[in-house]
Amino acid sequence: MAEDPNATNSETEDTQKNKYLTFHLAGEDYGIEIQYVIEIIGIQNITDVPDMPEFIRGVINLRGKVIPIMDVRARFGLEAHEYDERTCIIVVNIDTTEVGLVVDEVSEVADIPEDHVEPAPKTNKNNDDNYIQGMGKINNEVKILLNINKLLFSGEMLELIENLEE
Amino acid sequence: MSTPVDDDQIEIIQEFVTESRDMIEQLEPAIIELGQDSDPEVMNAIFRLFHSMKGSAGFLEFDHMTRVAHAAENLLDLIRNGTIDLAPDHVTLLCEACDFAKDALDIVDTEFTDDSMATEADTISAHLHDAIEIAKKVKAGGDAADTSSEEQPPEATESEQTSATPAAEPTEAAATPPPDANDFPTIEVTDEMRQSFVQEGNELLQNTEQGLLSWGDNIGNSEFIADIFRNVHSFKGNCGFFGYSQLEKLGHQMENVLDRVKSGSKLAVENPADQLLTSLDILQKTVNNIAEGKDDSIENLEQHINDLQIIIAPLLGDFLVEEGVPEQAITKAVETQKKPVGEILVEQGTASTTQVSSALKKQQDTINKTKAAAKPTQRTKTPAKRQDIRVELGKLDSLINLIGELVIAENMLIHNPDLKGMQLENFNKAGQHMSKLVRELQEMAMTIRMIPVSGLFRRMIRLVHDISVKAGKKVDLVLIGEETEIDKTVIETITDPLVHLLRNSLDHGLEPPDERIASGKGEKGTVKLSARHEEGEVWVTIEDDGRGLNKEKILEKALSNGIIEESDLDDLTDKQINNMIFAPGFSTAEKITDISGRGVGMDVVKKNLEKIKGKIDVTSNPGEGSKITLRIPLTLAIIDGMIVRVGTATCIVPTLSMLEAYRPTMDRITITPDGDELAKVRENFLPVIRLHEVLGKKPDSSDLEDGILIVLEYQDTRFCLFIDEILGQQQTVIKGLSNYIGNVAGVSGCTILGDGDVCLILDVGTLIESAENKKTRYEKTVSNA
Repeated sequence: MAEDPNATNSETEDTQKNKYLTFHLAGEDYGIEIQYVIEIIGIQNITDVPDMPEFIRGVINLRGKVIPIMDVRARFGLEAHEYDERTCIIVVNIDTTEVGLVVDEVSEVADIPEDHVEPAPKTNKNNDDNYIQGMGKINNEVKILLNINKLLFSGEMLELIENLEE
Repeated sequence: MSTPVDDDQIEIIQEFVTESRDMIEQLEPAIIELGQDSDPEVMNAIFRLFHSMKGSAGFLEFDHMTRVAHAAENLLDLIRNGTIDLAPDHVTLLCEACDFAKDALDIVDTEFTDDSMATEADTISAHLHDAIEIAKKVKAGGDAADTSSEEQPPEATESEQTSATPAAEPTEAAATPPPDANDFPTIEVTDEMRQSFVQEGNELLQNTEQGLLSWGDNIGNSEFIADIFRNVHSFKGNCGFFGYSQLEKLGHQMENVLDRVKSGSKLAVENPADQLLTSLDILQKTVNNIAEGKDDSIENLEQHINDLQIIIAPLLGDFLVEEGVPEQAITKAVETQKKPVGEILVEQGTASTTQVSSALKKQQDTINKTKAAAKPTQRTKTPAKRQDIRVELGKLDSLINLIGELVIAENMLIHNPDLKGMQLENFNKAGQHMSKLVRELQEMAMTIRMIPVSGLFRRMIRLVHDISVKAGKKVDLVLIGEETEIDKTVIETITDPLVHLLRNSLDHGLEPPDERIASGKGEKGTVKLSARHEEGEVWVTIEDDGRGLNKEKILEKALSNGIIEESDLDDLTDKQINNMIFAPGFSTAEKITDISGRGVGMDVVKKNLEKIKGKIDVTSNPGEGSKITLRIPLTLAIIDGMIVRVGTATCIVPTLSMLEAYRPTMDRITITPDGDELAKVRENFLPVIRLHEVLGKKPDSSDLEDGILIVLEYQDTRFCLFIDEILGQQQTVIKGLSNYIGNVAGVSGCTILGDGDVCLILDVGTLIESAENKKTRYEKTVSNA
């Protein structure tokens, strides 16, 4: 036990650096930083919560914890997709807030070094791209890297939170 | 003391810190009460606080704390026995002493020494001394009558018989005489006091017992003895305070024996532990009797005291006196003693060798005799009635979390889909048994974290006192429902809000005395602080009889702050106006005082309550005062709920607010021209709320006759909730919806059902409001579809 705790800390950080959990969504590949991911679970029974935006599907019970579920397809305004046995919920944790993200299919954990990440393309669509952190390239494939913080807390969700505070 | 502190000491210090903090917290309000009426009981309690703090701090060598506590004790002692009169300044000074003690405890807690408090200690003890001097002069000027306060406690006479022992009299000898029962012949022991005596007594006796047992196995280890001695001594002291003279006598006798052991003198028996344990059992039994409300009489008290007396071998000195050796000479010899007393006396020529040897012989004889007389005693164990234990909060939290998980695991096991349709008689029996146990375990765990609000409320006494002095207002603080129990974290969260709300009430709400008299009110304002359980929530209410909220001022300010627009003015309800005071930076105060006015406080109130999903209700009548109710959900509480279904959604309605449920017939439904449905329930017409509209679900049938109406009551309003069917009743653990989602109108939280699904709990209070909003929206979607 002579190990310096700081050393181990930076080690874990190192092991998580540049690692992304990638998933499929409507034919595209996306990635989120692995450090935010708590676990991946299969689709479960989701309880509706009234008064929520379309993409907040409700809440689930994760071993006694109640966790809100966001449908990422609905969040991006993509066409809805019937949940099947491949549909997964990725549970992420940001600043102690845990949220489950519904995605079509989880693929793998990929190593994308910083120099393989291109900045997000500038599009004319107002601010809709702001939850894209960058475009990651592995071989010939392109993964859209998402900024979890913005995914969870920008746009309609922000409005919702603001409305609640009023 | 610069010696490094070892782990044991740290433990002792930490215990000291927690105990002292508790004590201060309890007694601060008492100090303020002291200013209002000098009840001897209150005085004694405060005296005890400083006395025990002095004792413990002295033992741990926190000299500065000891100094301050001692000075405070002196002041109190003089006030108590009438040498000086109590002045309002004294109360302030004692409060300062408490503050100092708190600061010192904080430092001790981290640094294990109070060295850095030296200057503060100097200032405060100097103040206290000055106060004593001034008060003495004042008193001497006004009234020369001597109150003959210096009654010697009877202990002094008793201790003469041990005064020849080489050991110095323990701890209290140097300090002021400990308060003794004889000082207060009329002390009145309340139930509360008795309970705390019993509790403390039990603890002390347990410690003593532990000590005696360890010491019995390990004679010669003086550490144990010191420890036992301290415990017995404190116990004796407590008995003295409460006037349990019989207990005190026996305790004193035990102390004598221990003192003898401590000083290394000869004892009649090799190991007095057994005898002491017997006495201890008697003490324990008597304490238990006291706990049951009986008095402290001990059967055969004399006998027990004698039993102890005979173990104490008479001192050589006593025999020498009998032999005619002058007593002073012996005492002198004892004081300079390095060698046996006898030898010194012979050397000094004050006693002859024959005298000494004859005395020695007598001593030996007596020892032999008592050895024969001291019979081996039979112990009868008497267990303590009640015991408290301090547990780290983190451990409790993980216990409760684990139990929560257990409940869910149990539900999943018993309602496992794999078991569906199977005939499992024995499994079901075992399952039921387990469910019952888990339920009990859960209920027990919930109650562990709940503590009464009295501690929180009592802290406010000090605050109100300080503010009323600063703001020059006269206030009566009335506390109601102190025994209401709330979760510990909730108490912590509402502490700040309460402070801010009270400040506001006192600073803005209550008028100065002259203004009050002018408006026909009593000179003294009243602030009521109450707590009670209501509708599955805890309501903490702050009510004052001051001038109330000034609506014009609020609106004016809201306009200038841009919170509202000119055009909104007409639509605002009183409730909306009142709620504006919670906006950040909002203050109608013309000037900022050091109590309030910056507009931060109410924002804190709102933020903190949001954290625990609480709500705030403000009502105010100009000129009559305002009332602010903090409605706090019992986050960890279990509520009884009715599971209801509408379409595919299931919800839980708190049984508490349910009056009845019935299947309606159309002839009892009236539809108003506005399209509102009213159900006739006995002689009342109640509005109907359709749950499917609130939840945005498709019901089995939207015909009222096909479903069920539940009559719900919230505060004074009643209404009917239309649902498809009632599925059953269940005890549920309330969980908050995620912070991410925030507060949802019409929903107070959720719970996890037996099959692992999340189920929403309806908030009866906001259901009406949210139904109103939804209705229009729902109608739109229906007409679009």
